[in-house]
Amino acid sequence: MGLLAQALASGVVTGAIYALIALSLVIVYKSTDVINFAGGDVLMASCYVALLALISAGLPYWASALAAVGAAAVIGAGFDRLVLERIGRSVRGQDVLVAMVTATIGLSYVLKGAVRLLSVSSEVRSLPSQFLGPPIILGSVILLRQDIGILATAAITGAALFAFYRFTRLGRGMRAVAEDPRAAALIGIPIVRMRMLSWAVACAVAAVAGLLVAPKILMTPDMGIIVILAFAAAVIGGFTNFPGVVIGGLLLGIIENLVACTSRRKRSRWRRSSSSWWC
Amino acid sequence: MRRLIGAIVALWLVCDIGSARAWPVGDPHGPYADPGISDNEIVIGLFGPESGPLRNFGFDPMGAAQMWYEMVNKAGGIWGRKIRLVIEDDKCDPTTLNGVARKLVTVDKVFLLNGGSCTPAAVSAQEYVTREKVPFVMLNAAGDNALFPPTRYVFGAFGGTQFTVGGTLFDFVAKQLHVKTAAYFGNDDDFGSANLAAAKFMAEKRGVKLVAIERVPTNIVDVTAPMLRIRQANPDVVVVTSYPQPATLAMQKMSEFAFSMPIVFAVQSVPNPAGLVKNVGNLAAFKDFYYGSPLNDLTDGPRQRWVLKMYKEQFPDRTPTAFMSYGLPSAQAITYALLMAGPNPTRESFIDAMSHLKFDTGVLAGPIEFGPDKRDGHNASIFIKFDGTNSERMPGVYVNEYRSEK
Repeated sequence: MGLLAQALASGVVTGAIYALIALSLVIVYKSTDVINFAGGDVLMASCYVALLALISAGLPYWASALAAVGAAAVIGAGFDRLVLERIGRSVRGQDVLVAMVTATIGLSYVLKGAVRLLSVSSEVRSLPSQFLGPPIILGSVILLRQDIGILATAAITGAALFAFYRFTRLGRGMRAVAEDPRAAALIGIPIVRMRMLSWAVACAVAAVAGLLVAPKILMTPDMGIIVILAFAAAVIGGFTNFPGVVIGGLLLGIIENLVACTSRRKRSRWRRSSSSWWC
Repeated sequence: MRRLIGAIVALWLVCDIGSARAWPVGDPHGPYADPGISDNEIVIGLFGPESGPLRNFGFDPMGAAQMWYEMVNKAGGIWGRKIRLVIEDDKCDPTTLNGVARKLVTVDKVFLLNGGSCTPAAVSAQEYVTREKVPFVMLNAAGDNALFPPTRYVFGAFGGTQFTVGGTLFDFVAKQLHVKTAAYFGNDDDFGSANLAAAKFMAEKRGVKLVAIERVPTNIVDVTAPMLRIRQANPDVVVVTSYPQPATLAMQKMSEFAFSMPIVFAVQSVPNPAGLVKNVGNLAAFKDFYYGSPLNDLTDGPRQRWVLKMYKEQFPDRTPTAFMSYGLPSAQAITYALLMAGPNPTRESFIDAMSHLKFDTGVLAGPIEFGPDKRDGHNASIFIKFDGTNSERMPGVYVNEYRSEK
């Protein structure tokens, strides 16, 4: 049972990682109706920006983290202004969303290719964790401070985004642009600026997620693949509901860990009757 | 008789590695049955990843092969013929490698191919070279699927196959660490299957009971469940054979769970030991840590220094990576086989000579040995104890006794 509890605890932390990344996808979707397939690679690229700032420029961690978040916001805003905005002007009808989603896939390849040009990407790397200290031991469950930090950050970010979109003028403006751009424009909401801002915020959240998860899942140019699981978390959570996405991520992480723990043991139980059912 | 002469010539060459007077000058003359050979030169197609994410696997090994051919040319060539290289970048990509092989054979008309640093890409050329009857000597790819079952024109595994890696790991843990039970953590792909087959065989042969076998996808982000099962099995040793990222995650988790048993990594799991320490972030996790290597010493050890010296002379501006020496043995094998094939070699006589080749490379843990039905060249490993700061070679050379049943 102790090991089951450990699997549960680890599942919650893994789920929090999925939830954080899923939040960045949902921000873009809520504001622009575009599914951002480059979300994982924005996360990956921002981690490499932080790594370069740390080891090449010799900046302290906080400055490197700020540089990563800033770079991600610039990537997001620039992508919207230089690519999506032009697609929006030149493509008409239903095709515009298809073209925009395809453009995000293009951004994903560009970011991955650019990072692979860096010499630091030739081997597995990591960023230092900012949640240091001895693990907390609760019975047979070991909880790393890093994991608690990830959990707390995911919860705070989810709550902050929920509040931002629900209670602030800017957030409501972004939602209005997503729901009916024409009506939003008629009441004076600057659509172009709102969409650009949404992309910047979403990519900045992806960067924060990257900074948190890099010490845990390690950095390679392919680390953006984690976005697939974030998509699953977003779908479970409803794709437009911030608290729902956090819950979806947590559920996914827990189920993933428990299934991995139990399914293999179930098979082996047929072979070795002495084995316990749970991991 | 032919084998005897071959063995004598190879032995003589091995004794004279690096010596400018080692290479005989003949009186070659045409006509020649195969392309890529003339009175003055033999053309060899050399390829590997010179760009892309897997560049490190091939760039330096290609340099090592180049320096060997250059050394042979300086010594007068082979039977008076100089070796001319046509160098191409395969990016470790199967499609690119196939295109490169076709271009080298049909446009550049090379005599033989020497290349491939990544197994999936290298294996993909097997069908083409077999159909065209072109000798293909892999550079440093393991190439298991192209070597088992053996085919006439493909030679490889100069660093060992995954059978070698899996088998030698369990030879080591049984003989050196004297364990009775072991847990295995590896990939769930073909690469991992080959490794596990040899690991299981050698574990049983050496009396080590495998109490946990965990196989994971190469892009896994959470190894909690497999490591929990390993912890529950309470093995005497944990053997890790996955690619670097899952292996690092496993090491992090073992550190987190405070595993106290020895941990042994395969060569592919730890391309950069110092990088592993940084990523794990806990020196205590390395108190009983070992990793395998197909080389005969630490990369900066006394038995590797002659290669490093040779490389620095050839490429003074480059800093060699840990993979550099891996590129040398295939070039050595090719030059020895060309020599054994006589003054007027054909592709078929070259293949015959390769099929009887046995020599010590001076850089690998064990000898290179091919046979009429054996196309994997190397089958041994050494092991290195690494405490997070210092490396120490463990005594002995460990071998794999498993042969594929394919």
